[in-house]
Amino acid sequence: MDSVTVSVYRRDPATEKEGRYVDYVVPREEGMVVLDAMKYIERHIDPTLSLRWNCMAGKCGSCSAEINNKPSLMCKTRIDSLKDGKIKVSPIAAYPLIKDLATDVSQNWDLLKRIPPFTPREGLERPWRISQVDIERSKEFKKCIECFLCQDVCHVIREHKAGYFGPRHVVKAASLDMHPLDSLDRSEFMNKDAGLGYCNITKCCTEVCPEEIHITDNAIIPEKERAVNAQYDPIAIFLRSRRKGGKR
Amino acid sequence: MKAANESSWKQLIPPEFLEPNWRFWSFVFISILGSILIVLYTVPVYDGLTDPFYTPTVLILPLVVLFRLTCYAYRKDYHRHLFNHPNTCAADVRLDSGKRGYTGETGFFRIENVHRYFMYTAWGILPFFYYDIYHSIVYTGAITVSLGTVILTINAVAVTVYTFSCHSVRHLIGGYRDCVNCPANRNSKNSLYRFQSRLNGHHEAIAWTSLIMFVFVDLFIRGMVAGIIPNIVLIHGVL
Repeated sequence: MDSVTVSVYRRDPATEKEGRYVDYVVPREEGMVVLDAMKYIERHIDPTLSLRWNCMAGKCGSCSAEINNKPSLMCKTRIDSLKDGKIKVSPIAAYPLIKDLATDVSQNWDLLKRIPPFTPREGLERPWRISQVDIERSKEFKKCIECFLCQDVCHVIREHKAGYFGPRHVVKAASLDMHPLDSLDRSEFMNKDAGLGYCNITKCCTEVCPEEIHITDNAIIPEKERAVNAQYDPIAIFLRSRRKGGKR
Repeated sequence: MKAANESSWKQLIPPEFLEPNWRFWSFVFISILGSILIVLYTVPVYDGLTDPFYTPTVLILPLVVLFRLTCYAYRKDYHRHLFNHPNTCAADVRLDSGKRGYTGETGFFRIENVHRYFMYTAWGILPFFYYDIYHSIVYTGAITVSLGTVILTINAVAVTVYTFSCHSVRHLIGGYRDCVNCPANRNSKNSLYRFQSRLNGHHEAIAWTSLIMFVFVDLFIRGMVAGIIPNIVLIHGVL
């Protein structure tokens, strides 16, 4: 039977200082994805392999990994799409390793709590009504499945630990800021406390997003432009001071 | 996470040579070529056609350059390919990116935050491109539309589309609003913002096209001066 060799990163931090890549030979099936190969290894070759998966449909964001060094969902990466049939699977390196391919992404929940929550404007008529044209922008951000691939690929988080919250959290802030019934402006918070200024528009987050959210163009840059309004543009600051309060 | 047996010779080639980044390299090439040509071989106006490097834009060239340098499309290019922060999205070939200091746009590059003011100066320059088209049509005293006129027009349109597909324009014409169709502000279609957003989605490609057009027009006019390219007259009528 035709087979495929997968090189998988193995390490148990409790007992091992260094990780290693172990080659597994898995029967090839038409249309199989990397996660199919991982499940085969877990069931038939080595049940001690640790990995996370859930929906198998690219909607739960559990099976994030680095496949041939590119942050990807294992369930959405077909084996036949990988060049030369070479497959190397590693855990997402931006987060602490639990074991093998499982990482601890819980720091993201703490960051999300720090972003000022949805705060509806006062005096809104009930039921709340939003017109279709106003739904479009923040709806795109609701597609986020929190796979944290954008966080993993972001060089600021991965290599510089500068205090930047990361693309996922800018998307969250933008989805609230662009909500027509919300009363807050989070751009200044994002710039001063969440390190938005560390983003240098390299667009890697947009490249890896499995939900194809235009993270840089539609979330990060608009948040940066809003931060300019709040902090750097004298005309905008003057106009803002005259308008005081009220939703734009 | 480095591969255990990655071949070492690949580590020696800077990754920016291995991935497509033509916009960046053409920007470097055009900046050098343009600077040399402007100084050494002056061709202000020929046959009614004004070389785009010599319209009044050249007087405020530093501001135009700053407009391009603070543009979100070009920022990506030079942060990646000049400063290598990071040179590629691939996780295994980032070389020394992690070891060098990094301030992003919080230190010197805080200047990026006034991009919109450089954009305002770019707006001021745009009419001159259209005046150059007008001049190329009427300079003989009759109405003359030549190949050069067409090329100047394409160049003017490209630079206009580039300027107005800017992310700052997107912010100013509606991006700053949280509620488009609310009692205080009725705009049930938001069509201008949506149209501009579509253009903005191609901002990087447009930035590159308009940059290349400058050189193309410049070479066209230089070619005419050298007698290599004829300026074909398409329409000629008495004024």
